[in-house]
Amino acid sequence: MVVLGVAASDSHAVANHLIAHSLRAQGLTVVNLGTCTPVSEFADACELYPAAEAVIIGSLNGHIHEDLHDLADAKLQGRINCPVIVGGNLSVGSAKDESSTTRLYELGVDHVLAHPDSLVPLLDSLRAVGAPVTRELVDTTAR
Amino acid sequence: MSTDSPSSFGGDAVPAVPELPTLRESADYIRKLGKPSAAEVLESCRLAGRVALQPRCGVGGHKEMGALLAQLERDGRADILTLTIDSHTRLLRFDNAARALRADPRTLNGYPLVTHGWERGRELNESVAPPMEIRHGSPDARPLFQVAVASGITSFEGGGISYNLPYSKDVPLAHSLEAWAEVDSVCGELAGLGIIVDRELFGTLTAVLVRVDQPGGEHAGGGGRGRRGRALHLRLLPAERPAGAGRGRAAGHPAARRRYLPAGVQIHAVLHEFMGVFPRERNHAEELIFYGALTARLGGASKMITKTYQEALGIPDTEANVAGLRLADIANSELLGFVSVDSGAVAEELEWICREVAEIVEPVLEARNLRSGIVTAFAEGKLDIPFSASRHARSEITPLRDPSGAIRYQEHGGLPLSDASVKRNRRLLAEGRPGGPARPTCSRC
Repeated sequence: MVVLGVAASDSHAVANHLIAHSLRAQGLTVVNLGTCTPVSEFADACELYPAAEAVIIGSLNGHIHEDLHDLADAKLQGRINCPVIVGGNLSVGSAKDESSTTRLYELGVDHVLAHPDSLVPLLDSLRAVGAPVTRELVDTTAR
Repeated sequence: MSTDSPSSFGGDAVPAVPELPTLRESADYIRKLGKPSAAEVLESCRLAGRVALQPRCGVGGHKEMGALLAQLERDGRADILTLTIDSHTRLLRFDNAARALRADPRTLNGYPLVTHGWERGRELNESVAPPMEIRHGSPDARPLFQVAVASGITSFEGGGISYNLPYSKDVPLAHSLEAWAEVDSVCGELAGLGIIVDRELFGTLTAVLVRVDQPGGEHAGGGGRGRRGRALHLRLLPAERPAGAGRGRAAGHPAARRRYLPAGVQIHAVLHEFMGVFPRERNHAEELIFYGALTARLGGASKMITKTYQEALGIPDTEANVAGLRLADIANSELLGFVSVDSGAVAEELEWICREVAEIVEPVLEARNLRSGIVTAFAEGKLDIPFSASRHARSEITPLRDPSGAIRYQEHGGLPLSDASVKRNRRLLAEGRPGGPARPTCSRC
């Protein structure tokens, strides 16, 4: 089982529908929270579905860092205990660099994917090593 | 209140925007500014036999926004300019917009007009000659509209259905319809003060396709005073593939709309260049851009909203945006006068579009209370959209291209289409596919 959704300020629905469809077709149970999903709603879903193997968050509008500004808090509070996977268009503008990915890891994201095709192999590898396993948390609020 | 939840959705509270000029002061300012309105620009382009050009453009920083507009006016020669609004502002997440603006304006995917405020809006408006339009995606646009009018900007996109269902998850339709009726009511007041607001509505996104059209629906609550003089700008299907039937569908929309609007309303068709996933390679992207622009010309659109060769990568830089405008303008060339469409196919498609629209919207228009009729129709799936961002549409319909490139219903869900319409959609999807019946050589057969 996975929890799926699009980041809080983002209403791009099509890829979300297609990814949910694709994961279900491959036998996964998908709790799809859909578009415009704040971190608090992902956390609520994790508490409601403790069997969730991962939280998968899509973002296409380039606002993912602001939209996940409170992710680290939710993880520190133990409200999200499974790995958090993010993919999509991860910064505003057409010139991309690595910093958008690095900043996501700093915010508490565990895996950043360049392509949705990598999603199922990643979930398989997480299951193989006995997930839920998350990266070591950095308490950004303490800095 | 959480900074992450648009708490005013679903309630009646209007988020207050402090220290705005009165409507009369804004109307006086707009008159003194003396800029042509969007409606006037469209009319003059139409008389000159060309499609007006408008880019999307919005960056977070105020100075950067001014520089972007200046360059798109000077080098891109845009007929109408845009303030594209960031996603936080669209969803009333003003705290998030303000935080991003303080931290790094470059992280915003548009211009946070409410946060910058109306005085800065006026600065931008005064800095360029073409009229400006606010393009956004706000289920409840009341604060943004107030700041836009105070900024002297009188072209404003959106409506209670089309800016709700594709743009938010859980805003009740009753709320967005009410909020947009208030916007239209203010447009009526402004018309009384001699200011005509250009209200652009759209019915389609390439993927979120099919009829979110709201003939009458968006405007039924708009108050009578402004209706006669108000120009409605209606968007067409975006350009798809080089297929006569596809172009026929694009050309058909305004006629389908006119049937349900009062006499005297100006209607302009607006075409959006391809709205789906773009190719990354510049040559391919530019083929698609030019094809869209040519479709706008052939479909008789008054205006086109342009794309750029950087579409696949993210929000374009200024140079790419300028290049997209210049490329689109080539489709306005007199040298292309020899290109034409199959008028028989267009007429056939138009007839069917009008028929499908009638089957879907006329039962809703019969409702005693139109707004609650719309809400009920979406709840029951009698109005619907595919790939809905919102929970308030059932999203039980699936669009599919037929072999000619035209978009048809594969699944029509609960839409009250007639057997004849359903059969035609099925037949056109099947014809020419491997294992399907042969496609007739004459599209009218």
